[in-house]
Amino acid sequence: MSITAETAKAHAHDPAVLCCRAEGGITIEPANLEDPAIFDDLVDSGLLNLDGCLTIEEVLGAKLTKTCDSLCPLTADVVEGAKVPSAPAVEAAEEAPAAPAAPAAPAAPAAPMAGGVLKIHIGEGKDIDLEIPVGALGGGSAAAEAPAVAAAAAASAAEAPAAEPKLIRSLTRKHFNITEVKRGPETKIEGTTLYIREGIEKECIDSQKLVYDLKIDIITPELYHTYSETIMDVQPIATKEGEDELGSGVTRVLDGVVMMVTGTDANGVQIGEFGSSEGYLDENIMWGRPGAPEKGEIFIKTQVTVKEGTNMERPGPLAAHTASDIITQEIRECLKKLDESLVVDTEQFDQYRRPGKKKVVIVKEIMGQGAMHDNLILPVEPVGILGGKPNVDLGNVPVAVSPLEVLDGCIHALTCIGPASKEMSRHYWREPLVLEALHDEEVDLCGVIFVGSPQINAEKFYVSRRVGQICEMLDVDGAFVTTEGFGNNHIDFASHHEQIGMRGIPVVGMSFCAVQGALVVGNKYMTHMVDNNKSESGIENEVLACNTLCPEDAVRALQMLKNAMGGEDVKAAEKKWNPNVKSSNVEAIESVTGKGLKLVENEQSLPMSQKRKEKYD
Amino acid sequence: MENVQILLRQHVGAPCAAIVKAGDEVKKGTKIATPTGLGANIFSSVYGVVEEVLEDRIIIKPDEEQKEEFVPIEVEDENDKLAMVKEAGIVGMGGAGFPTGIKLGINLAETETAELDPEINPELPADFKLEHSYILINAAECEPGLEHNIRQIEEQCDKVVRGVKYCMEITHADKAIFAIKKKNDKAIEILRKGIAGEDAISIHLLPDIYPMGEERAVVRECLGVNLTTMQLPSAARSVVVNLETAAKIAEAIDEKKPCITKNLTVRGKINGGNEAHVFMDVPVGVSVGELIERAGGIDGVYGEIIMGGAFTGKSTDLDAPITKTTGGILVTIEFPDLHGANVGLLVCACGGSEERMREIAEKMNGKVVSVCRCKQAIENKPGAPLKCLRPGNCPGQVKNNMQFKKDKCEYIIIGNCSDCSNTVMASGPKMGLKVFHQTDHVMRTVGHALYRTLRVSKQVDQLPNGK
Repeated sequence: MSITAETAKAHAHDPAVLCCRAEGGITIEPANLEDPAIFDDLVDSGLLNLDGCLTIEEVLGAKLTKTCDSLCPLTADVVEGAKVPSAPAVEAAEEAPAAPAAPAAPAAPAAPMAGGVLKIHIGEGKDIDLEIPVGALGGGSAAAEAPAVAAAAAASAAEAPAAEPKLIRSLTRKHFNITEVKRGPETKIEGTTLYIREGIEKECIDSQKLVYDLKIDIITPELYHTYSETIMDVQPIATKEGEDELGSGVTRVLDGVVMMVTGTDANGVQIGEFGSSEGYLDENIMWGRPGAPEKGEIFIKTQVTVKEGTNMERPGPLAAHTASDIITQEIRECLKKLDESLVVDTEQFDQYRRPGKKKVVIVKEIMGQGAMHDNLILPVEPVGILGGKPNVDLGNVPVAVSPLEVLDGCIHALTCIGPASKEMSRHYWREPLVLEALHDEEVDLCGVIFVGSPQINAEKFYVSRRVGQICEMLDVDGAFVTTEGFGNNHIDFASHHEQIGMRGIPVVGMSFCAVQGALVVGNKYMTHMVDNNKSESGIENEVLACNTLCPEDAVRALQMLKNAMGGEDVKAAEKKWNPNVKSSNVEAIESVTGKGLKLVENEQSLPMSQKRKEKYD
Repeated sequence: MENVQILLRQHVGAPCAAIVKAGDEVKKGTKIATPTGLGANIFSSVYGVVEEVLEDRIIIKPDEEQKEEFVPIEVEDENDKLAMVKEAGIVGMGGAGFPTGIKLGINLAETETAELDPEINPELPADFKLEHSYILINAAECEPGLEHNIRQIEEQCDKVVRGVKYCMEITHADKAIFAIKKKNDKAIEILRKGIAGEDAISIHLLPDIYPMGEERAVVRECLGVNLTTMQLPSAARSVVVNLETAAKIAEAIDEKKPCITKNLTVRGKINGGNEAHVFMDVPVGVSVGELIERAGGIDGVYGEIIMGGAFTGKSTDLDAPITKTTGGILVTIEFPDLHGANVGLLVCACGGSEERMREIAEKMNGKVVSVCRCKQAIENKPGAPLKCLRPGNCPGQVKNNMQFKKDKCEYIIIGNCSDCSNTVMASGPKMGLKVFHQTDHVMRTVGHALYRTLRVSKQVDQLPNGK
C-alpha cells in the first residue's frame, strides 16, 4: 500500500519500490511507494528482488525516467536526480572520533534483506544500530530495537550531576550449606546434613483433600538420570529471621538443595499447559537458569498425585504446592534455629533510589487465567504458602512490590504453562532484570509491579489500563514489561505497552517470542523488544526454564531502555526470527561496555531426550 | 404501450409525494409528485390515466395515441433561469441524481478556493488559488459500453453548449471546460466547431481509463486540483454537470420542457448482435423489458440484466422501470461456474458495493471467504457509499493479495479501476490467485477488453489551447 510522508520519513533508509504503475516523467512522491513493512514476505516468495534498489530517502522528489509497473524496485537506471543518502557509510563510522555530543547515525544495511536476512555490519565503538526479532507482530512487521549504545552512554554521562543516592532498605541473605539430605526420625539439620522426617508424606497427603498421594525422592547428582513427572516448581528453601518481614531484614537460605514439586492427576495426566517436562531429569532441566536448579544441587522432589481432572483447575495445583510446603515449612523451622556459626556466606542487597537519574519501573506480567494458572503474592515466608494472596482472587490488578521483595521470594509460582518459558518461584528469587536494574547506578529503579494476565479480554484491558495509570502517577521515564509463556498473555502484554506508551513513556518488552511465540497482536508502541528465546529452533521445547529471562536478556533490555529514554531511533525488526540479530547486539554491547557478556547454553548442551528427538530437534 | 411506472425517488434525497390519485387523467408534463425534502419535481412522461398510486411509484396506463406536445413548466418569473431548472425537476442525469436546481444555486464568482489537503496536492503551492470559476462538463461517458452521451454531442451539440452557457450564467462561472475522452474523434470534431466562437469554453481531453467521470476525477483532470472525499467541486470553484443534464437545462429554459425523458444505451446479448442500441428521449417509467424488446430482444440464455453501467450499475429485472438517471441496460452472457471455490472480494469505491460483489460471487457459485477494501475507498459516514481518495490512481494492492492468500482464496473478484486492477495483476497471479473483474461478464458480452493489466497511458496530449 502506498505510504504517507510520515511513513516515508520513518523508512527513509528502506528500499524504494513502486506500489503501483507509474509513468515516466513523474516526480516520485510517497504515494508512489509501497510500504517497506511487507517486503520480507515479498522477497521470500520471490515476488521482489531488491538488488540495487535505491532508498526511499534517495528517490523522493527525483524523476522517474520510464514507465514502471507495480512492485518495481527503483534502481539508479530508472531514476534521475536521486539524492545522496544521509546515512554515512559503515567505514566512516569506524573512523569517527567518539565525541560525546555527536549524534548517533544509523549504520547502513550493507546487503538489504538478501533471502530474508538483514545483514548489518557494525562499526566498532559507536554509531550502532541493532535489531532483535520478535516474530510477526499483528500479522505485519515485527518490532525491534536499535540502541546506539555509545550515544546513549554518552547521553547519560552528560546529565546534570545527580543528588546522592538514597538507601531505602537492605536485605541480607545468610547462606547455610547442605551437602547431604537423608530421611530420619525427625526433620533436622546437623552440620551440613539435612534430615527429613520419615512418614511426613502422610501428613502432607492428609492436609489436602485433593491430594491422593505424595512421594518424596531425594535426587542427588548421581541420580539425575531419574524419570520424573512434569516439574511444577523449583523453590529455594528459605525463611525469615525473627520478626523480619519479607523484603527486608535477614533471610536464611539453604545452599546445595532445592525443593522441586512434580506431579500428575490420578489419571496420570501431567499438570501443565503448552507442554510438560516429564522425563529424565538430566534431559529436561536447563541447568543454571534463574528459575532452575544448578548442576550439583540436591533436589527434594515431591511427586504429588491430585484428584483426577483437577490438574486443569486452580485447586489441584494449589493443593500439590500446599502439601509440598508442609515439608518445606518443617525445614524452615529447623533453619530458623541453626547456629550462626554455620553461615557460609552473607549477601546484602541494598535498595537505593537515585534522584536525578532516569526513573524506571519493571512491570512483570504473571499468569492469572485461572485453571492451572495462578500465583501467590507475598506469602509470609519466602516462596511460602501461608499469607500469600492468589493474584486471580485479587482480580489480577497490578500489585506494587519493592525489588527486594521480589528477590526475597514474594511470588510463589503455581503456574503450569510451557516449562521452557515458565518463571519458576526460584526465578523471582534470582530475577536478573531486577538485579541488573537494582545495581545499575545510571537508573533509578522505583519498584516492581506485578500484574496478572486474566483469561478474558475485557479483563485484560481492565488491568492494563490500571498499569498505565500507575505508570502515569509514578512519573517514570521508562518502563520494562516482561511476561512468561506466550499466546493468550501477549494480548495484555501488548496492551500494557499501549497503555504505558500512549502516556509518552518509552517501554521495553521482554518475552519468549522467536518462532513459536510470535506475537499474536501488536500496536505502535511495541517498538522495543527483547526476545528471551534461547532454544536452537525458537520453540517451546519443554526443557525446564530454557527460554526464560536471563542476565544476557536483562543487559540488553536495560541498554535498550536507556537508549529509548535518550530518544534514539529504533529500527523495525525483521519479519522472521533471526538469531543472528541477538548475537550482533550482544557483540555491540560488549564492544561498547568493554565487558564480556557470557551467553548461557541451551538445550543442545543436554543429553538428547527421546521426546525432544521425536517432537522437536 | 404497456403501463409506465414512475418511481417517487429518482434522485438523491427523500422520496417525492404523489399529488395525483387513481383515475386522474394526466398529460405529458403534468406534475404528479413534489419533493418532501431534498428532491425534484416529477412529471408524467405520457398521456394517460393514473391507474394506481403505490408507496414508491405511480402507475400510469398510457393512451393509445401519444402526442409530441407537452404541458410547459410554470414559474413566477420568466427570467429566473434557476427557478426553471428547479421547476423542471432536473437531476444529475449521469447517474448520481443530485437535484440540479440545488447544485446550480451557487455563485461561483464569489466562491473562494477552499483549503486544499497538501498530502494529496504535493505539487500545488500552499496558498494555491484558482483564478477562474468553472462549469466542468462531464462528457467522459466513463462506463464502458455506453454510447448515448457521445451520440448526443454528435447530434445535439448546439443544445448541449446552450445548456452549458445557461449553467455559467446561473452560477456566474467565467469558464467552462468539456471533459471528454480523446478516443471520441468524431464527437470532438463536432464539439470543436460548436465552441469555436465561445472564448470561455474549452475542451480537456481524457485518457481512456476508468474512472474519469467521477466528479472529483473531472476536477483533477481539468484543473489539477485533488479534492478530499468530503470536498465538493465548489472547493475548486467549480460545478460539474453531465452533458445530458446540460441539454435538459437548455430544454427547460428554451422550451419550458420538464424532465420526462432519458437517453440510454441498451446493449449486450441481444438478437442481432452486441452493438449498442442508443435510444434518445425515452419516457421515464418505461420498463427494462420493453426497451430490450425494442432493441431486438434477449438472445437466448443470459447471465443477468444490469441497470446502469458495468462498474456502478445494479442487477435488475424485466419489469423494472427506467428513471431520470438510468444510463444503460446491459444483458450479459452467463457467469462462469467456480464450483464453490474459495473467493476473495476486493471492494473498491470505483466498482460495486460489497453487497453487489457478493451477489456476483454468488452468481459465479463462489464461496466468499475474504473481503478486502481498497485502501483509498473511504466511507465518509458509516454506511455511506465509498468514495475514492484519488480516483484512478492506485494506492497499491499487494497487501490485499497477501491477505487473500492467507485466507486461502483460489479466486478473487475485484471491482477496481483500471490503475488498481493493473496493480492487482502485478502480484495476484504470481501468488497463485486467479483474478476476475466484476465487469468481466459485461466486457465479454460487449467485446470490450477485460480490466486487467493497463496498457494505455494516463497522460494524453491536449488540444492547442483546449480548442
